[in-house]
Amino acid sequence: MSADASSSPSPPNQPAQLVEHFFRHEKGRLHGALVRLLGVHNLSLAEDVAQEAMLRALRTWSMGGVPANPSAWITQVAMNLARDALRHRKMASGKEGAIITHHEQMTATPAVAWEAAQEIRDDALRLMFVCAHPAIAPDAQVILALKILCGFSTGEIARAFLATESAIEKQLTRTKQRIAESGIGFELPEGENLAPRLDGVLAVIYLLFNEGYKASSGDRLLREELCQEAIRLGGLLVAHPAGRSPRCHALLALMLLTSARFPARLDDQGGLLRLDDQDRTKWDRQLIAQGLGHLGQAAQGHDLSEYHLQAGIAALHCLASDYASTDWEKILLHYDELLKLKPSPIVALNRAVAIAHLHGPQAGLDTIATIPQREKLDQHYLLHAVTGELHWRLKNHQAAAWHFRRALALAQVGPEQVYLSRLIERADPASANPTRSFG
Amino acid sequence: MSTSPDSSAAYLLIFRNTGAENYRHLSAQQQQELVGRWNAWFEDLLARGKATIGQPLEDATRIVAGPGGSRVVDGPFPEAKEAVGGFVTLQVSGLAEATAIAQRHPGLEFGMLIEVREMTPHCHLGVNTRTVTATA
Repeated sequence: MSADASSSPSPPNQPAQLVEHFFRHEKGRLHGALVRLLGVHNLSLAEDVAQEAMLRALRTWSMGGVPANPSAWITQVAMNLARDALRHRKMASGKEGAIITHHEQMTATPAVAWEAAQEIRDDALRLMFVCAHPAIAPDAQVILALKILCGFSTGEIARAFLATESAIEKQLTRTKQRIAESGIGFELPEGENLAPRLDGVLAVIYLLFNEGYKASSGDRLLREELCQEAIRLGGLLVAHPAGRSPRCHALLALMLLTSARFPARLDDQGGLLRLDDQDRTKWDRQLIAQGLGHLGQAAQGHDLSEYHLQAGIAALHCLASDYASTDWEKILLHYDELLKLKPSPIVALNRAVAIAHLHGPQAGLDTIATIPQREKLDQHYLLHAVTGELHWRLKNHQAAAWHFRRALALAQVGPEQVYLSRLIERADPASANPTRSFG
Repeated sequence: MSTSPDSSAAYLLIFRNTGAENYRHLSAQQQQELVGRWNAWFEDLLARGKATIGQPLEDATRIVAGPGGSRVVDGPFPEAKEAVGGFVTLQVSGLAEATAIAQRHPGLEFGMLIEVREMTPHCHLGVNTRTVTATA
């Protein structure tokens, strides 16, 4: 999207402007083009070349202004640097020599514009398949995608994950070794391979989105950018014939509908606001409309994935004009299906919340008591927060306070802790800490 | 201070130590921000009629010396701190204003050095240097 906008010529005498995140996205795009040229085993070299091209752009554009087509400018520089790098490595033996020849042919004949655009889209998708390769562990896939596809620096990734830069650096090095050892190729999976590999890509995008969505205490702005990146990658995917499947649309719908609520998620002090406390006029109508559009496209065909069901739940929340008019019956149906499709204690807990809304807090508590493998949730603050809330509604204030305290002890994240402290004060005012004036 | 009759003088800002190493640690986002701030600095000067030309220089350097230019040496040379990365010409009231403009340069926080030099109003052939037109 951004590359298109940036390549439009600027009016004469008006300095060209770079679209938002141009450098970051351009880096991801360059990685795709360079890996196609250099091979997946040369991923680090591709990164070095891309970085060098960005530095050239920085120095030249700082002192000489931004060119009318910055994307073409930087691609040309990167391709020249890649050729130099290959020459410098003296890899003129058979294979690498062929690469140079291939590259020279490529740069000698200027590609037809649409062909080039097609190539760029393919490269981005191929790179997604590399990052989501089953030989790489899910956590490592997300980190690699942030670095390679999204153009984040290790410092930014470290800030988003509250890790040290050297830890991220080490993990990336291991991942790239693994890629080189596994002989991962740079192609679009075809035939029966496509669907399972595509599921892998969706899983990475979803993980990436969840990393950003979690109310973790990492850099908040950066985390919102993770969500935006996940949405951008989802958009690239559904724009491509190989990625245009109903469940891709479903995932994109889920992410759009969820992020539509971001502007209402926090109060003025940065505290978490639950769905029933959120100012729904702050929800982003445009994102909701886009999300519903993709949900419609997701419904074409017979596929019903977990993304379909979760997007459906998100849509039901977005369509309710206020909390009281939420269609809990439909939401419960979605959770029933989701539980069949992907049984997990967390889904079961969310289902119990829907039951409590429909049949009262005691029914909710009874449902929680029957969750299979409930012990897996014992260390999760959410189980105790929900249980506490249901006790509160039953006016068991003592039990409510007890569960809120357990939840607080397990919550690791600032906003969640503040939120739970408020609930404890409400349930057990005598225990309130008078110094916590903001409540 | 100024030798120009209309109390406006031409100054040259020479940018040194602008090598890639200075910016390698920046994230893509920070790199883009720096490009934006740097261009804003220059465009503001252009808009106010303070800057006349601004140009980056390629790293490749050739030095010609000796009688008849008998010695030709190609660079770049190892002292990156000394290398000139670009320049800007100014039309300002004097050294104080040229200095103040240089002090606002966003590249300074990344190690850049700016040399401020007054350009003599006439070249040795007597051609007025004001005939230089703004091209940036």
